[in-house]
Amino acid sequence: MGLLEDKVVPGREERIKASMAYGGSACGLVKADKICLRNQERTFAQAGLCQLLPTLGMLASLPDTAIIVHGAIGCASTGFGANIGSRLRHVQMGRTAIKDTIWISTNLSESEVVHGGEQRLEDTIYETYEELKPKSIVVLQTCAPSIIGDDLHSVIDRVREKLDIPILASTCEGFKTKIWATGYDVAFHAIVHGYIENDKEGRPPRKEGRKEGEKPLVNIINLASVGLTDENEIKRILNSIGIEVNIGPNFASREDIRRMTQADLTVSICPTHDDYFVDYLNKEYGIPFVLRDMPIGLENTKNWLLDIASKVGLQKEAEKFIEEETKKTLKAVEKYTPYLKGKKVFLSAGEFRALVTGLLIQELGMEVTGLRAYHHDYFGDEFYTKLVKAQDGKDFVVDIANFQPFELMNILQKVKPDLFIGHVSDNLSAAKLGFPAATIFRIFDYYIGYRGFYEFAKKMTRVLKNPAFNKKLSENVTHPYKNQWYEENPFKYIKIVKSEDNDGDIKEIENSFDFASLKGEI
Amino acid sequence: MSGYIERPRYQCALGGALATLNSVDRAVAIVHSAPGCSSSADSAANVGSGYWGATYCGGRATPSTNILEKEIIFGGESRLKEQIESTFSIIDGDLFAVITGCMTDIIGDDVKSITETFRQQGKNIVVAETGGFKGNSSTGYDLILEAIFTQFTEKGLEKNPRLVNILGLVPSQDVFWRGNLIELRRLLIELGIEVNTFFTPFDNTNSLKTASSAALNIVLSNVHGINAAKAFKETHGTDYISLPFPIGPSATNEFLKEVGKSLGICSNKVDEVIEKEKAWYYSYIHSLTDIYNDLDLQRNAIVIGDANYGYSITRFVSDDLGWIPAYVAITDILEDDQKELIKKQFDSFSHDLRPKLIFEENTSRISKHINEDLSSIESEFDHAISPAFVLGSTLDRPLAAELKAGFWSVSYPIVNRVVTDQGYVGYRGGLRLATEIFSVILGNR
Repeated sequence: MGLLEDKVVPGREERIKASMAYGGSACGLVKADKICLRNQERTFAQAGLCQLLPTLGMLASLPDTAIIVHGAIGCASTGFGANIGSRLRHVQMGRTAIKDTIWISTNLSESEVVHGGEQRLEDTIYETYEELKPKSIVVLQTCAPSIIGDDLHSVIDRVREKLDIPILASTCEGFKTKIWATGYDVAFHAIVHGYIENDKEGRPPRKEGRKEGEKPLVNIINLASVGLTDENEIKRILNSIGIEVNIGPNFASREDIRRMTQADLTVSICPTHDDYFVDYLNKEYGIPFVLRDMPIGLENTKNWLLDIASKVGLQKEAEKFIEEETKKTLKAVEKYTPYLKGKKVFLSAGEFRALVTGLLIQELGMEVTGLRAYHHDYFGDEFYTKLVKAQDGKDFVVDIANFQPFELMNILQKVKPDLFIGHVSDNLSAAKLGFPAATIFRIFDYYIGYRGFYEFAKKMTRVLKNPAFNKKLSENVTHPYKNQWYEENPFKYIKIVKSEDNDGDIKEIENSFDFASLKGEI
Repeated sequence: MSGYIERPRYQCALGGALATLNSVDRAVAIVHSAPGCSSSADSAANVGSGYWGATYCGGRATPSTNILEKEIIFGGESRLKEQIESTFSIIDGDLFAVITGCMTDIIGDDVKSITETFRQQGKNIVVAETGGFKGNSSTGYDLILEAIFTQFTEKGLEKNPRLVNILGLVPSQDVFWRGNLIELRRLLIELGIEVNTFFTPFDNTNSLKTASSAALNIVLSNVHGINAAKAFKETHGTDYISLPFPIGPSATNEFLKEVGKSLGICSNKVDEVIEKEKAWYYSYIHSLTDIYNDLDLQRNAIVIGDANYGYSITRFVSDDLGWIPAYVAITDILEDDQKELIKKQFDSFSHDLRPKLIFEENTSRISKHINEDLSSIESEFDHAISPAFVLGSTLDRPLAAELKAGFWSVSYPIVNRVVTDQGYVGYRGGLRLATEIFSVILGNR
């Protein structure tokens, strides 16, 4: 990966052979050829998501920053959605003088589409600087200016010479990649170049190593979707064993982000999210990293923490902490486990989040009966295997889908889980079918670490106790799918697309699951 | 011609068309665009209109070609054809509409001829080129309605002299369109008129199909829906009138008289309805007389909204609530002649009650204009318009805080409350708005 050389971030299908279409079993997915998986698409598709959204979500979290969305007016229309995230973060932190995020559309109209939009962009940057006095300006390039050939980077080079604040630039056109998680890479790329590589002060020097008696400083890469609650739990865990924490880059200032180059270790809480940035800090600043687990569930939290502790020589402290916390947490959830034991759960979220939550629900005595992940890459393989093993080899259905509720609803009708656990916007399908559903993500909740384990059990118990809202809803709403759809193979519309580089070695992947095998168990 | 826009209060043409389609039960959009366009548009419509949310086949369920670089290079026509075919095989709908995004319009996919082949097979499918750069939500509303009226609505139906179509309330852009349309229908039925509202949860595609039998189109706006009404007139020969969107008794009295005149309804009948509705409104407002006077519920008003809401809310708070309109900001992207039409509406305010009118698309500049103007008014104590109240979008909450003013969100985007069946139109809508505003003022008791 050419993080420093490349101006444009490669799509994840290229960089790590990520796939966005598969339907079958967990075991089948792990065994499938990644190149062939990458080439699967759909002949019927529903609304996707483009990389602009995660990019916008991340970059809008930077304080005192103006976001300029270079494109037609609609691409900036979710700015107020991104603003809700940062507003609530301020509220959580008790900041009363809340300032809303500023976002601006260059509002390209037919005339710019014909004559080019570079001038409009450049003027917008200068006027934003003059009028709104932000501490940084972020530019997001969308589809339309890319197609008409606007040269974002030459505009950015020009304005960087004239303005004394950091200018962050990102090319996040929706048509460039089918894996929208690429948007995280794009945001990291913009942050690295804007605040470190091309910053007026130059890049910070490389740290020479930890001084005698100095506590290890660890970078925690946070996610815009992880709340302050979870961040506080991470901080508590690491501080407890003697680690200093620097959290960023979401919601972090330029100074805090630059300080991330001076850490002793970088810790990811989600490899899907972080690998691009972790790699940068490692290559350019020699900072070792932990990029494997996500501290959700007891076993995952343990592995994650021991991994970190071993890198900074604090194993003993970690082991003692883990033992005490685990005992305390297990005792606390005892009152909830009778409600949870034996329940069949369907999970839906970003792949890594769904998988680690799978281990958590197994620890609470529940079973994974199906999983829908937004995309697939090799980070997940190990966890599919772990999940199947943990339920005595009982395989489950997996749908790799950039949402695609038509597949999900078909699967749910066949699998009939006791509980659906999904990322925001996923729960709607389950709710319409009457299943109890709970979100896997809400920034006021705890999901991570020991507190997360307890709060999760408590919340799932609450959801299972009274599913009346969804149940009544399902009796009173109609679905847009034809009845016969529910009789079909849910993966009917997945196809392999041949591409120039691998026509020769296409291996067919079986996109089906034997649902009949589930029936005996209900 | 508009330049950049800071914190815009509308979506793009694609977004407006999508929200319009999603507000019609069993209508299904097929979005021919990159992945993300329909999700973004839907999320802006959902969150921004008080959590409108799930529709029949909207949101993440919206069929979309999700085109990528290879379609940009080689064209997206075969992908669109494939998507339309598969949509028909899986989705159960009464009206399908292909709408396009920026990139497919730029590369010039021939979406019309592809859709035409399906129409010739007898499918209920229309097409509108709604590339985002063509305009905002209001443009998208016009474009999709033009497509429906010319490609779906039956031609040559006999006119029903008592039937009207209501246009001009852009779903989601008018956060309260459902409640507003339902109340409008109720009122017009009182006059003995039949009404096509099209976009409430209780309408279906049949009313769009037979809309040409209406004797008149009533466009409740002088900006939104005018082009759709013109296309309708060209295709079906039905005339249209443009009336202000009526909030509260004073405006609604006039509205009913105008409609009555246009349709030749006996003025006694109109007066009878007005008396009955006014009595209903005042029976409730009467009970608030104590608090209005004792607690001094009169305010200086700042109203921020689109061409429909900017005028109508101001009119209501001035004519019915007895407030002093101080500033009104109109946030639409407007041509000069449209601005003139709006200015003219404000001429009806008496000298002392005529607000300062600001045409401004940029959110920060609205507060800048107001603050600059206020600081030019000499005042030894508090600012000249204290006690003030801001009626605008959630985006205007910081302005209200700055002015120590009350605040209530009435124009898009509204993210700080839930909107379901509420509406502000008519007598009942006016009462609702009054109730909400006074509740905000008393909220800290």
